[in-house]
Amino acid sequence: MVSTGLLDALAQGLVTGSIIAAGAIGLSLVYSIAEVPNFAHGDMITIGAYLALVVNRPAEISFLPGLPGGAISLLLAAGFALVAAAILGAIYELAIFRQFRDRDADLITMVIVSLGLALILQNIVLFVAGSRNIKYDTATVLDVNWDFYLTGGGLTVQRTQRQAGEIALVGEWGYPWWLLLGVLAAAIAVGYGVYRWRSTDADYRTQHLVSPRVLGVLATAGIVLALGFLARLDPVGTDAIISTRIGTSRKDITVVLVVGIAMFLLNLLLKRTRLGKGMRATADNMDLAEVRGVDVGRIQIVVWVIAGLLAALAGVLAGWNASNLNPNMGFTLLLPVFAAVILGGIRSPYGAAAGALVIGISMDVGVYLLPSNFATYRIAIAFMILILVLMVRPEGLWGDV
Amino acid sequence: MALADFLVSLVTFIAIYGLFGLGLNVKFGFTGLIDFGHVAYFMVGGYVTAVVTMPAQITGYDGLGGYALPALLSAIPGGTVLGWLLGVAIGMLAAAFVSLLVGVPTLRLREDYLAITALGVATILNEVVLSEVWLFNGPFGIRSIHEPAAGLFPLGLGSFTVNLLVFGGLSVLVFAYATYRVANYVRHASGRQRTLAVVVALGFAAWYFVQPLIGASNAVVTLQTNLTFLFDPNAGPNGGLDYDRFFMLLSLAFLAGGYWWMQRTINSPYGRVLRAVRDDEDVPRALGKETFRYKIQALLFGSALAGAAGALYTIHIGFISPEQFGAMITFFAFASVIIGGTANNAGVVLGTAVFWAINSGTQFLNDYFPSEYAVQLSASRLILIGIILIVILYYRPEGILGEQDYDISLPGEEAANANVAGPEVGSSDASTGPEADSSAASTGPEVGSSDATGGPTVDDANGGGVDD
Repeated sequence: MVSTGLLDALAQGLVTGSIIAAGAIGLSLVYSIAEVPNFAHGDMITIGAYLALVVNRPAEISFLPGLPGGAISLLLAAGFALVAAAILGAIYELAIFRQFRDRDADLITMVIVSLGLALILQNIVLFVAGSRNIKYDTATVLDVNWDFYLTGGGLTVQRTQRQAGEIALVGEWGYPWWLLLGVLAAAIAVGYGVYRWRSTDADYRTQHLVSPRVLGVLATAGIVLALGFLARLDPVGTDAIISTRIGTSRKDITVVLVVGIAMFLLNLLLKRTRLGKGMRATADNMDLAEVRGVDVGRIQIVVWVIAGLLAALAGVLAGWNASNLNPNMGFTLLLPVFAAVILGGIRSPYGAAAGALVIGISMDVGVYLLPSNFATYRIAIAFMILILVLMVRPEGLWGDV
Repeated sequence: MALADFLVSLVTFIAIYGLFGLGLNVKFGFTGLIDFGHVAYFMVGGYVTAVVTMPAQITGYDGLGGYALPALLSAIPGGTVLGWLLGVAIGMLAAAFVSLLVGVPTLRLREDYLAITALGVATILNEVVLSEVWLFNGPFGIRSIHEPAAGLFPLGLGSFTVNLLVFGGLSVLVFAYATYRVANYVRHASGRQRTLAVVVALGFAAWYFVQPLIGASNAVVTLQTNLTFLFDPNAGPNGGLDYDRFFMLLSLAFLAGGYWWMQRTINSPYGRVLRAVRDDEDVPRALGKETFRYKIQALLFGSALAGAAGALYTIHIGFISPEQFGAMITFFAFASVIIGGTANNAGVVLGTAVFWAINSGTQFLNDYFPSEYAVQLSASRLILIGIILIVILYYRPEGILGEQDYDISLPGEEAANANVAGPEVGSSDASTGPEADSSAASTGPEVGSSDATGGPTVDDANGGGVDD
């Protein structure tokens, strides 16, 4: 019998980190460009999740009129939630934060204003949906276990699934040692090659769309997965020296992919468009950007729209992945999201994404490494890391990028 | 519950959270520290006081303690009360000590980082108390809270008539004094403030005296019960002062004590340094002040007050569990402080009264709606508070009362403040002198002030209704 181990915790951490990243990137944009330490961000996540719920399960909301067409699928509901949350984002900016910025409100005032907004948003959710736990109406997704046995002859992989209470073997294959080492060597070689190829032209003017290091890591992972999928040979036995299990599901993979795509799109926006250039300039120095002809007012709206959109994405993904929504879900995410942003240095969405992965992985790996009665301290682990980092480097790991 | 009982409970709440808010005000209002983890010290104070004062070996309690301080000291005359006070002092010290542990690493951070770190620390501490059963019984909480001097109550002075005359008379005096103060204020105030004061006073009178009469079977008895709120006819054989009313007075005494302490602190040269740290930390540092030490001390004072408030809170509720100490409590206190007036001790009490009048004073509205809408009602109250918070920050960022005047004026302001300083001292002394009574008097009209700020919902409700 195999049990889950460090690899499983890492995989879980990747999923957690992706959800945190979706919240953290929006927060860091708002933090750096709109200059609001937005304590309402957690509740923006909640609002996003519940916007999808309102059209996904309209019957559950007692006093709202039912939709004319009845309930719609989660995918469409998520689309609706993103659009509605984006509009809400613009409303927050125009109705509240712009007014305070025009009055030169200081950072503390902005914190308290966002706190007031958080109070309003959280209680709107309570008002509309009540305080119970609820989940989306969607097809159940079965968990798939990937069991790895490292034996004398090589690596055996078993894909198992719980069907009707029994764990059933869905697929089994293996890689002999020579193939395993060959694939690893090839993957590392390709990854390093990609890195060298992309970084040859590096000087201070070059701006990579995707950093060569990230590309290299992605290439390595891609080669391992592709070759591993193509070259599946006979199993090499299960009398393992080491065995481990990674439990995952289509949900987990979707979460990581969706957040990855969202990050890439945002990256395109920031680096390849005039608007994005304006956003980065505003983050750097608002007055200077304005002098150079950047329409700062428009940039602020765009920032809040993106933040609302990403928060809704994080909310829908978190609610779907955990099969649970409650009015407190955003607030529990707020601490890790803030930790990620501060860890990454508040000026950089890239730092926020990296910080989110660090926080997510350390939360799940920490829970795995600590004794089982510490499992309730997942958030606390994220926080201890933040405090430790702040004590050593008060401006965050990457500083102000 | 009769409306008088509800008023007693509401005033007790306002006194407790007012003390809590005073603690926040010394951190946030005067020193500029955004402590989003203020509730943690409330929790520590409450738990520690409960544990050191409760008897050992309670069934169903598996946590630390049961140190039974009141029983230990019961040999001395008045020892049980002394033991309880000692317990509160230990609770305050524990809260201050925890805040010291939190403050040393975090107070050097930027203000926004401090806010999130403090919030995180409070969340973690709450999580620890919730998960560790060996510490304070985890999610099961503590059910046996020591009530100081509970044996003396209900307190009767003799026959029914004597009780009615003494306690009822005191209540009437309180109302009379409050009316006198309000009338005095209205006479000297002008413009919008006068209108506001009149509306508030009339709103309170309508809510407390007129509204219960509608549909009451015996109007005279109802009116008399409400007027003589300190007298409980059901307490003891001949009526008298019951424990809830005594506890209200005790809480008000604590509030008055905290208020006095904070006024003394902030009006001293020491308080001037705190304000300088808030306004521009570099200046006092350039003048040779160790600003970090001042910040830590402000944190300690504020946390100790929060700890005392926590000790009172546990007695008022009679049961504590970690869920009662969520981050929302801190945010409520921030809302109270900002609504009433940041860096204004009287404003904090006023803001707390406004907040709890909106949040609890409108409970009687629940009777007009089907019971399944209770969640919606409580949510809409908090939405209203959120909106008030933002609106106040926009139109009147200094709060209803604005920053208070200080005995020690800053250089350059001396000429302007010389006239103000005199009467200001007098008024602060007046409200702390005859402690309980005058505080009750000043909270009286403030409860009503929610009716003014609470907008149409509350005003409509004044038309009629049943108390909670």
